[in-house]
Amino acid sequence: MKLNINGNTYQTGAEPNDLLLWVLRDELGLTGTKFGCGIGYCGSCTVHVDGKPMRACVTPVQAVQNKNIRTIEGLKKGETLHPVQQAFVDHQVLQCGWCMSGQMMQAAALLEQQPGISDEELLQGMSGNFCRCGSYVRIREAVLDAAKRVREGRS
Amino acid sequence: MSSRKWRITRRQFLIGLGTAGGAVALGFYLGKPAMQLKLAEGSEDSLKSQAKLPKTPDAWFEIREDSTLRLYVTKSEMGQGIHTALAQLAAEELGLKVTDLDVVQSTTRQGPKDSFGTGASASILTSFRPMREAAATFREMLLKAGSGQLQKPAEQLELTATGVRVKGTEQQALYADLARQEGMWEVPKTPPVLKKVRGFQVIGTSAQRIDLPAKVTGEAIYGYDARLPGMLYGAVLRPPTLEANLKSADVSQVSRQPGVKTVHVDLEAGFVGVVAQTRNQARNALRHVKAVWDQGKLWQQKEILDLIRPEGKAGVTFQREGKGSAGLKQGNVIRAEYRSPFAVQAAMEPQAALADVKPEGVKIWASTQYPFRISSAVSKKLGIKEETIEVIPTYLGGGFGSKINSQAGLEAAILSKAAGAPVHVGWDRTEEMTQGFLRPPTHSVLSAVLKDGKIETLEHRIGSGVVAFSTLPSFLETLMGADFGSYAGGKVLYDIPNRQGISYNPHLPVRTGWWRGLGLFANTFALESFMDELAAESGTDPLEFRLKHLPASAWGVRMRKVLQTVARESRWGKPRPSGRALGLACGSSFENLIAQVAEVSIDQEKERVKVHRIWCAMDPGLVINPDGAKAQIQGAVMWGVSSALKEEVLVKDGKITAQNFTDYPLLSLEEAPDIQTFLLEDGSGEPRGVGEPPIAPVGAAIGNAIFALTGKRLREVPFNAERLRSAGILV
Repeated sequence: MKLNINGNTYQTGAEPNDLLLWVLRDELGLTGTKFGCGIGYCGSCTVHVDGKPMRACVTPVQAVQNKNIRTIEGLKKGETLHPVQQAFVDHQVLQCGWCMSGQMMQAAALLEQQPGISDEELLQGMSGNFCRCGSYVRIREAVLDAAKRVREGRS
Repeated sequence: MSSRKWRITRRQFLIGLGTAGGAVALGFYLGKPAMQLKLAEGSEDSLKSQAKLPKTPDAWFEIREDSTLRLYVTKSEMGQGIHTALAQLAAEELGLKVTDLDVVQSTTRQGPKDSFGTGASASILTSFRPMREAAATFREMLLKAGSGQLQKPAEQLELTATGVRVKGTEQQALYADLARQEGMWEVPKTPPVLKKVRGFQVIGTSAQRIDLPAKVTGEAIYGYDARLPGMLYGAVLRPPTLEANLKSADVSQVSRQPGVKTVHVDLEAGFVGVVAQTRNQARNALRHVKAVWDQGKLWQQKEILDLIRPEGKAGVTFQREGKGSAGLKQGNVIRAEYRSPFAVQAAMEPQAALADVKPEGVKIWASTQYPFRISSAVSKKLGIKEETIEVIPTYLGGGFGSKINSQAGLEAAILSKAAGAPVHVGWDRTEEMTQGFLRPPTHSVLSAVLKDGKIETLEHRIGSGVVAFSTLPSFLETLMGADFGSYAGGKVLYDIPNRQGISYNPHLPVRTGWWRGLGLFANTFALESFMDELAAESGTDPLEFRLKHLPASAWGVRMRKVLQTVARESRWGKPRPSGRALGLACGSSFENLIAQVAEVSIDQEKERVKVHRIWCAMDPGLVINPDGAKAQIQGAVMWGVSSALKEEVLVKDGKITAQNFTDYPLLSLEEAPDIQTFLLEDGSGEPRGVGEPPIAPVGAAIGNAIFALTGKRLREVPFNAERLRSAGILV
């Protein structure tokens, strides 16, 4: 089976029902996508499939064949951080960082899919991504700042 | 590292001269953490023998072949920003920037046995002076070596990221060149002069976290991410009940399952593990184990709560002032009982480790707060000399006490040996919730006598499962009597003539242990809610009532400041918007003082307490990194809110009820309050730990706000819909 990830084609020996998260992490070595709950609840494993945020821990690989998968490793453009990544650095959001690939992928998808998204909708859209270090105050600041950057077309 | 020869040239310092690359290194020892001192107090002579200097240092600077400086530390980076803060201490005295230092965590083969690990908010406390002394000494040595090579007096020289430079010029002697001059490396005879607090240029600034660039791009490696060529995956059979004992295991069907390489059974240890090509195959194969269990006693919640009732002869007094409890015989006794449930740490990264067991040595990459706990467990279990086991700590996806345990490291080693290949064991969420140790449930009974509007006598009886005793040797348990983890935050520090604290610490059938702040959250919830009750009883404003009971000591003066700060900032005593009210509480831990005000309302539709905002003032003595300290406050307060409103684990039919986040919900972004932080410094120039203390007042601040709003007193966390309903708060 072939998977298109971050613009590259990967050949995988995975079975159709194998879950995308473990194929990414264990087989392909893309460990930036994290495991948190295994039931699609906490959001740590969020990736983009054709631009939409999806929970890789409950997504069988056969469902994403011939689609464009993007992971945290593919979020920056060349050496330039995505506006969401840059905002997360500028606001020093990350503590342990484990949930953060998912947080940033969720925010990036919301901003890219819905250019006119309101601040309220954006925060609502972030509410299914859990953080145990308790960095919510900064996640709020950073995603609202990232939204501004995207609207103004800067990084 | 193994080629390095250390020699002691002065009491606290070691110079190491490496054979490779002509590297020179200066090592030093950390101070004793507060908790270790406490242990030593409790055990008197038994620990004194450990006071001898180890042959290798706790932390050290090293000149690399590319002329950069590396700083080796023993403390784990689990999100608290410790690698950055330690680099700030060093950079300050070296006269460098934080980013000029490459901070690396040493492995268990690269230093002495750090018998403390990372926790108890102790890393800065123990490093503050030794790290600066070592950096200042190293700076002098580098300048002296540079002076020789550049033929200039040391006063005209300065350090850069890669060498010693003549000030105002480009003329520089590279560190790597200096390092090859073996004869020159002697520690100066006189101790270095440290910078004065008011001269600090790096300490006290918000240096950016050095681990963020790798974390933000997904490149940072955690224990769950560790990989080796040819690695396999392990899964371990878990007992079905708390007291289950494995009688027999028929594994004849297991090895036939797809991808299975090895099945390992150790009946005596109750261990059945499978190693397979993929994680999924390993877990699937486990389902084919035909295990017979003796399920043991099927415990129920109520039976466990009976065990922690703080009454009877087992209590140990941990505090007594004046007449103690005897003061309760004079006057009307006001009494209240407070409770908190089992809880889990719920680090977002479950326990994980990769082990490679070979005849010539063992390597284990692990998310761990306590690498030596893994090497010692593996040594005992596999009969391998501990000196040949190297545990390499990775970044941790949260710890909060759970990764003091690090059982996954031992499991990976057992299975790697059985399979003859590197094996990774990563726990799933259910294992993380049920197989580690839980925060113990608590039951506090508070009794007081008031006289003329002031408290004359206050007694605090605490019933709780063990915390520190979960991992300490049992001889210490006997020596210390009360578990300092269980009664953390339980001492009454107000100026009250008669005070007594009594602790009951049974070992429960559920394994209990370390959790962020230990007993701080539960004990401060009990004490500070009760203070609020006594204020109401005496008809005094809660702020005024607390101020009235502060001692005249330095602690009292500092506490007055943090209390007045949050009162002023939250506009305490002024009218609030309709349907909202404020609650106040304070607490202290590790000499760090905290006061908080919470603003709440009741959301009848969503059947919940809404915490709108928390004002938090903290005086940790000296702040190393203001932004880092604020992040720690925000995190600890969020923990407190989550625990106060939601978190609860029950025991039913011999099992733990929480299996995943669906039945152990965490606070979400939508429920998270705004947090206003205020950092005060007492002018002592001495920093205290900040990672845990801010959790102390949260439960009481919220509970007191609910009381102010509704007149109803909630004495058990979490304040969930069921408890709000039975208190008549939900209508």
